[in-house]
Amino acid sequence: MAHAHSVKRHKGLMDWLTTVDHKKIAILYLVAGGFFFGIGGIEALLIRVQLWKPMSTFVTAQQFNELITMHGTTMIFLGVMPIIFAIMNAVIPLQIGARDVAFPFLNSLGFWTFLFGGLLLNLSWFMGGAPDGGWTAYAPLSSTTYSTTHGVDFYTIGLQIAGLGTLIGGINFLATIITMRAPGMSFMRMPMFTWTTFVTSAMILFAFPAITVGLVLLSFDRILGANFFNVELGGNPVLWQHIFWIFGHPEVYILILPAFGIISEVVSTFSRKRLFGYSSMVFATILIAFLGFMVWAHHMFTTGMGPVANALFAIATMLIAVPTGIKIFNWLFTMWGGQITFNTANLFAAGFIPTFVMGGVTGVMLGAAPADYQFHDTYFVVAHFHYVIVGGLVLGLFSGLHYWWPKMFGRVLNETLGKIEFWTFIIGFHLTFFLQHFLGLIGMQRRVYTYLPNQGFDMMNVLSTIGAFLMGVGVIIFLINIAITARKPSGVENDPWGDGRTLEWAIPSPPPEYNFKQLPLVRGLDAYWKEKMAGNTEMTPAEPVGPIHMPSPTIIPFVMSVGLFIAGLGFMFTTEDFGNSALNFIFNNYIVVILGLGITFGSMIVHSINDDEGWHIEPEEIDGKGVEA
Amino acid sequence: MTDHHNDGSVVRHRHRHEGPRKHVIAFIFSIVLTAIAFATVAAGGVNTAFTVILLLVMAVLQVLVQLGYWMHLKDKGHMIPIVFMAGGFFVAGLCIIAALYWMWW
Repeated sequence: MAHAHSVKRHKGLMDWLTTVDHKKIAILYLVAGGFFFGIGGIEALLIRVQLWKPMSTFVTAQQFNELITMHGTTMIFLGVMPIIFAIMNAVIPLQIGARDVAFPFLNSLGFWTFLFGGLLLNLSWFMGGAPDGGWTAYAPLSSTTYSTTHGVDFYTIGLQIAGLGTLIGGINFLATIITMRAPGMSFMRMPMFTWTTFVTSAMILFAFPAITVGLVLLSFDRILGANFFNVELGGNPVLWQHIFWIFGHPEVYILILPAFGIISEVVSTFSRKRLFGYSSMVFATILIAFLGFMVWAHHMFTTGMGPVANALFAIATMLIAVPTGIKIFNWLFTMWGGQITFNTANLFAAGFIPTFVMGGVTGVMLGAAPADYQFHDTYFVVAHFHYVIVGGLVLGLFSGLHYWWPKMFGRVLNETLGKIEFWTFIIGFHLTFFLQHFLGLIGMQRRVYTYLPNQGFDMMNVLSTIGAFLMGVGVIIFLINIAITARKPSGVENDPWGDGRTLEWAIPSPPPEYNFKQLPLVRGLDAYWKEKMAGNTEMTPAEPVGPIHMPSPTIIPFVMSVGLFIAGLGFMFTTEDFGNSALNFIFNNYIVVILGLGITFGSMIVHSINDDEGWHIEPEEIDGKGVEA
Repeated sequence: MTDHHNDGSVVRHRHRHEGPRKHVIAFIFSIVLTAIAFATVAAGGVNTAFTVILLLVMAVLQVLVQLGYWMHLKDKGHMIPIVFMAGGFFVAGLCIIAALYWMWW
C-alpha cells in the first residue's frame, strides 16, 4: 500500500476529457443530455408550430417526418437517458457508501461513446437529411426503397454507438451495486433509488442486446444489401417490429423506474417519514421489470398475431398496473401524516403522482386489444406516452435535479424561480397533451404532417401548441435558475435540506474526489437518518483512516469513441458515389472504416499493455484539506 | 481471504484447496462428451433424428459441465451470476418463441 504513485493532474478542458471521477462524468452526462434535450425540445416546438393550424405549410411532409423521427429518437436515447445516467452517476456511489463506480474507465468510455453516437446521429441534419422512418424505424419505411437518403444509416450507426455506451453504463452500475456497497448495507437496506437503478441496469443488460441485433440487421439490409426485412426476398418486416419492441418496451421501463426511485427518495425526505412499504416497493420494482419483458407485442396488436396472442399480451399488460398501483399507494401513504414541505423538488414529485396515474390509466385502455384497434396510430397514443414519459419521467428528473443539485454543485437552486418553473411546465404539459387524448378519440392520426380544417381539430391543436410553448418557457426558467445559482458561492452544508436520510447527505456538498474519508458503517435502512435519530452528527466509520486508492485519469476512452465515430461514418458511405475519385477510393475500399477501427483497437491495445495501478491519496493530504466524511 | 459480509462483519476463511481431482474428472468428462458426439457422426449409418437428439443432449451436458466447474457456478457465492444468466436465457428464449411462433407458424 505504501507505493504512492505520482499522478498527472490535468486542468481545464483536458481535465474533463480525461476524467474518470463519477461526479465529473455525471456533470458531463448532464450537460450533453441537456444539450440534446434542448435540440429535441426545439424539434417538438417546430412540430407544434406546423400543427397549430390546418393545412399549414411551415414544414414539408418530408421535413415533418424527419422532425418527428429525430424528436423521438433524440429525446429518448440522447436526452432523458443520459440525464438519468447523470443522476445515477452523481448519486449511486454516494448512496451506497462507495468511493467510485466499479469500473471508472468504462464509466468514461460509456459517456464518450454515447456523446459521439449522439453527435453522429445529429450530423444527419447537415449531411443529406435526417432519418425519416419514425423513432421506431419500422421496415419497410426504413428500407432503402422508402428512405433514400442516408438518414436511417445515421440512425442505425449512431444508435449502435450510443447504445454501446448505455450497455456499458448498465453493466457498470450492476457491478457497482453488487460489489461496492458499504459494510452493513444489505440489499434490503439499499435506498430506493439504488434499487431502481439496480433493476434498471439489469433491464438494460437484457434489453439492449435486442436493439443491437436489430440495428445490425437493419444496417446490413441498407448498406450491404441483405434482406432480413425485405418481403420480396423472403425477409419479414414484422421481425423488425418484434426485435424493436422486445427492446422497446423494456426501454420505457428503463426510463420510468429511475423516476420511481427519485420520487421515492424525494417524497420520503420531504414528508420526514420512512418510505411506506419499502419491501413492497422493492418487490413491485422487480415485478415491473419482469413483466416488462413479456408485454412487447401490445405495440403490435394490429399486425395480425391472432386473438390468442393478443389476449395473452393484453392480460400481461394490464397485470403491470398492479405493481405500479402498489407504488402509487405507497407514495400516498408515505405522504399521509408526514410533515410535508412543498419545495420545488417535492412539488415536482407531487405533480408526478396524479400525472403518471393518468398515463397509466390510458396505458391500460391501450392494453385492451379490441379497443386498441380504435386507438392505434391516433393522437390518443401520443397523449398516453407523453403522459408517462414527460408527466412521469421528466417531472421525476426535474424533481431529482432540484433535490440533488446542492449535492452535485454545492448550491441550492432558487426556490421562487423553481416554483414558477414547476407551475409553467406542468400547466403547459397538461394543456399540450390532455387535449390530444380527445384529438385522438375524434380521429386525428399521428405521424401525419397536417390535417383538414373543420373536423373539430382546429381549436384543440391551437391550445396544444400554446401548451408546448409554455413547457418551453418552463425549461428556460430552469436554465435561468441554473445561471443565477451558478453565480452564488459554492459549498452549502452537508445536508442542506436538513432532512436527508441516505448516505450522500452525510458528506460535503460537493463531495471530495474520494467521497468518503472512511467508509461508513450502515446500521439500517435510511442509514444517515438512523444515525441522526441516535444523536450522532456523522456516520460511524467502518475502517481506520488510510491511504485511498484512486483511478488515474485517461484520454483513451475519448480516443476510442472518436475511432468508433470515424468508423461509423466510413461504414455508412461504403457504397456511396461521391463523384470524386479520391473520396470514392477511401470510402468504397473501407479505408475510413479500417482507420476508425484501427484507432479504437489501437487504444484498447495501449490500455491493455499499459499497466496502470492508479494512485493514492495519503491520510495527511486528507487531513490537510480538513474534510470530514 | 477476507469476505465482507452484509452485516458488516469481516470473516476470515481458511482457504481450503479442493485439489485438482474434480477438475480432472470434469476435464475428462467434457472430452468424453465431445468424443461421443464426434464418434456418432463419424461412424455414420446412425438414424439422423437420433443423432440430432444425442448431439443436443451432449451439448446441454457440456454446457452444464463448463458452467459448473470451469465457470465456478457450482461454488458458493455465485447466486447473482446464476440469477442473471437465468434471466438472460429467459429473455433470449422469449425472443426465439416470438420469432418462430407468431411469425412463421
